[in-house]
Amino acid sequence: MMMESAEIFVSVPQGLPSAWDTVTAALVSPMSNDVTMSDESLSEGLSLLCSNGLGQFLEGWLMETLQVRLTTAMAPEFWAGLKQPENELEEKDRARILLMAFRTLLDRLEPFLGGLEKLGTWQDEGRGGLCGPGTGGLRERAFSIIRAILLFSPSAVLQERILEFYSRTFSVHMSQEGEAGEAEEGGGGPEVGICQGCTVPTHQCWCQEALEQLQELSHILSRLQLLERVSSEAVTSILHKLIEQRMEQHCRGEYESSFLFDFQEWLELVLGWLSRVFASEVGGMGMVPNGTSSGGGVMGQPANAVLQRWRCHMHQFFCRIYVNMRIEELFSIIRDFPESKPAIEDLKFCLERTNQRQQLLTSLKTAFETRLLHPGVHTSDIITVYISAIKALRELDPSMVILQVACQPIRKYLRTREDTVRQIVASLTGDAEGCSDLANELSRADPVTLETQDSEDEGSDPEEWTPDPTDAVTDKTGSKRRSSDIISLLVSIYGSKEIFIDEYRTVLADRLLHQFNYNTAREIRNVELLKLRFGESHMHYCEVMLKDVADSRRINTNIREEESRLAKEEQPPLALSAMILSSEFWPTLKEEKMELPPLASQAMEAYTHRYEKLKAMRTLSWKSHLGSVTLDVELEDRTLTNLTVSPIHAAIILHFQDKSLWTLEDLSVALGVPQEMLRRKLTLWQQQGVLKEEAGGRYSVLETGSSRERPERGVMLIDSDEEGDSNTTTQSEQREEKLQLFWAYIQAMLTNLETMTLERIHSMLRMFVATGPVVTEMDVNELQAFLQRKVRDHQLIVSAGVYRLPKSTN
Amino acid sequence: MSINMASQNMDPEAASSTAALKGNETGGSAAKGSVTKRLQQELMTLMMSGDKGISAFPESDNLFKWIGTIDGAQGTVYEGLRYKLSFEFPSGYPYKAPRVKFITHCFHPNVDDQGFICLDILKDKWSALYDVRSILLSIQSLLGEPNNESPLNTTAAGLWDNQEAFKAHLMSTYEN
Repeated sequence: MMMESAEIFVSVPQGLPSAWDTVTAALVSPMSNDVTMSDESLSEGLSLLCSNGLGQFLEGWLMETLQVRLTTAMAPEFWAGLKQPENELEEKDRARILLMAFRTLLDRLEPFLGGLEKLGTWQDEGRGGLCGPGTGGLRERAFSIIRAILLFSPSAVLQERILEFYSRTFSVHMSQEGEAGEAEEGGGGPEVGICQGCTVPTHQCWCQEALEQLQELSHILSRLQLLERVSSEAVTSILHKLIEQRMEQHCRGEYESSFLFDFQEWLELVLGWLSRVFASEVGGMGMVPNGTSSGGGVMGQPANAVLQRWRCHMHQFFCRIYVNMRIEELFSIIRDFPESKPAIEDLKFCLERTNQRQQLLTSLKTAFETRLLHPGVHTSDIITVYISAIKALRELDPSMVILQVACQPIRKYLRTREDTVRQIVASLTGDAEGCSDLANELSRADPVTLETQDSEDEGSDPEEWTPDPTDAVTDKTGSKRRSSDIISLLVSIYGSKEIFIDEYRTVLADRLLHQFNYNTAREIRNVELLKLRFGESHMHYCEVMLKDVADSRRINTNIREEESRLAKEEQPPLALSAMILSSEFWPTLKEEKMELPPLASQAMEAYTHRYEKLKAMRTLSWKSHLGSVTLDVELEDRTLTNLTVSPIHAAIILHFQDKSLWTLEDLSVALGVPQEMLRRKLTLWQQQGVLKEEAGGRYSVLETGSSRERPERGVMLIDSDEEGDSNTTTQSEQREEKLQLFWAYIQAMLTNLETMTLERIHSMLRMFVATGPVVTEMDVNELQAFLQRKVRDHQLIVSAGVYRLPKSTN
Repeated sequence: MSINMASQNMDPEAASSTAALKGNETGGSAAKGSVTKRLQQELMTLMMSGDKGISAFPESDNLFKWIGTIDGAQGTVYEGLRYKLSFEFPSGYPYKAPRVKFITHCFHPNVDDQGFICLDILKDKWSALYDVRSILLSIQSLLGEPNNESPLNTTAAGLWDNQEAFKAHLMSTYEN
């Protein structure tokens, strides 16, 4: 045979053109109807061509022809077809046109694709000595040409149409999968008679059609290997938009339920649609007439991989969007904790899958600073949010790093609030209204050892995450020691429990001194609970205080008994009960001077006398302004009974017993109380209608009910204008003393070092004002405000950021 | 009382940073640590004493070098004049006297051109019971009552008896 053909070749060179024609025609014609016949002549032609060395040009010719045809005819036709009737088309028609355009394209390309297959097969078989890249290689090149020419500069209309079409099929898919209307609630879908999927009246519904079109389109695209290329962008943007939209509609502001599972289900539905989009690659091959040779099995594998890739992508995207949204809302979530626990759990799950911890930290810190840490927020609210933050963030991040870093600003800020300790102590003891968290926390009574700052230093760095450098400076506690215990955290704001215990002592003192019934059951409970927290030794003072109260009660009973045994005439005129405090153990009490009426002072003397007999080597020093007096006031026409007033009120009215008219001046002398204060105290009796003020600062008793007589009340309590009802020195007084100390240092350093900047002064203070038990700290802003006040008072001069003392002060 | 009531606005780091500072400077030696403590205490005492006309403060973060200021006492030729001094504390303080000298040029029988002071308590009469405050007070009184028997500055010693001339010379040499 070979010999024969060689003969033909040599003897019949004229056969060459026709052989070329036969072969090329076979390549580009639609599938020949008479396969066997042409096959034979083909083989002959092919061998002829090859033997003449022309076989290699077949490939080039086919590609060239394809390219020319594409550029001149197919691509323009495709684009024209897509844009064809410019406007006024229904969506349905647009979808059809899109499909038509692709269908035509495929039709036009089909001969070439067939030819490619043939040529490829020939090459694979090496028929007629033909060689070349084979089916795979040819197809690769051809599709590159198609992609290059067709999509070299795709007009926007394609993307638009594709997007529209996919969106539609998506909603159709979703509505069929039972998620009716959810994907596009805004579109008026739920109306009766409107198809949920395609939002046209039901009788015009083209849902089914759309799905079929989708299938066909997907098939064509995958046949042309354009699927990823054309669809990915549209699919991605649709899915992203939908996830965001869904998230906005369902999750925003909604913290009380978990959305993870919902979304997981929803994403599965979405994947159902995706599998339709990419379906033809998976299993749709059988439906395609000419697709037998394209090897469904081989293509099926990547398609699964494609779906898997999309699934991962969607999941990742969902997590990121979700985390983004929750980060934005984290402040509110924290505020709503524990109701918002599901949201925290979701966030935790997603946060583990995205790399957004840093973003969360930054955002949360900023949120705290802008929403919480400004003068308009009450300290107790800040503490409440802080407690919520502790609870919420320890759920979110068991390593406590987020908690520690994000709450740093809160702790720092709380340190600058004067009433922080008082608030915390008040809520610990359950005094603060609406804030029972701490009281509950306390009664949990875990024996938590409160580590002081020093011993916490030796922890190691967290291995999985390092705080950013600015945080790292202040962050001294290691991950091991990082505490999540609310009370420990609150107490450690100040770095020492002594301050808290001192404050608690003050609060306890106030409470014990304000109630006169010696009832300490509740306080004992609190002290016991605090002992578990802080250790016995620290609560020693408080125990002594409680014991004082108990002892006082006993001593009182004792002395009363003794008195009752006396003869009638020797009975003291005043029934006196005392609260006996061990002065060493109680906080400093406010000093106020007052001359007591003889009646009271005699009673006190007698009491002291009996006490000294009872407790040898001890005596009493009376705080005459503290306490309460119950008395009846008998006037000519009326009697006020059971009035409970402060000692000074009682002393005032007692003076009016002997003399019904007093000038302010005389009364002030008699009582040893400044006039201004006396005037304030007198108002109570004026309000009671017992005294009235006359011209010239004189006060007299209203023996007969005046015209504006007030209705009598059984009990009238101590007047409310009492300036600060605490009996102990206030924090602002302490603070004033602290500032005084600072001022001495500042003056000294400026005297000797002449001029200094704010920073220098601050660092000097930090360095040197640390002696004995006072470790005082002032932040730069506080210091600056203080210095500015001194500048205003002309005690300091500032110029160009440098402070110095004015010459005259020395 | 102010000293005993801990302020709530205390920064936990303040204490530790001071501690760290001490550690660095003293090389961890216990002896030097106690010197630091003593100097801290002296500074505190000085701050709280509120003496007029004398003052001193560490010149930088080094607690062993101080700057002092003395105002000339009323009724002396030094009235209205202000003098700066430098203090250097040896590591053996307070068992060894600090080195004290004038920074401001001081025309005085017992002060030389370099500012060195001839004062017994800074030399052989030093005792650990003295402190910065007592040194400052001693130098302040030395200004008004020089010891003319062992002058460092003979010109000044010679002029001292003529207070008018002394004052004139003093004012012409005083620089601040």
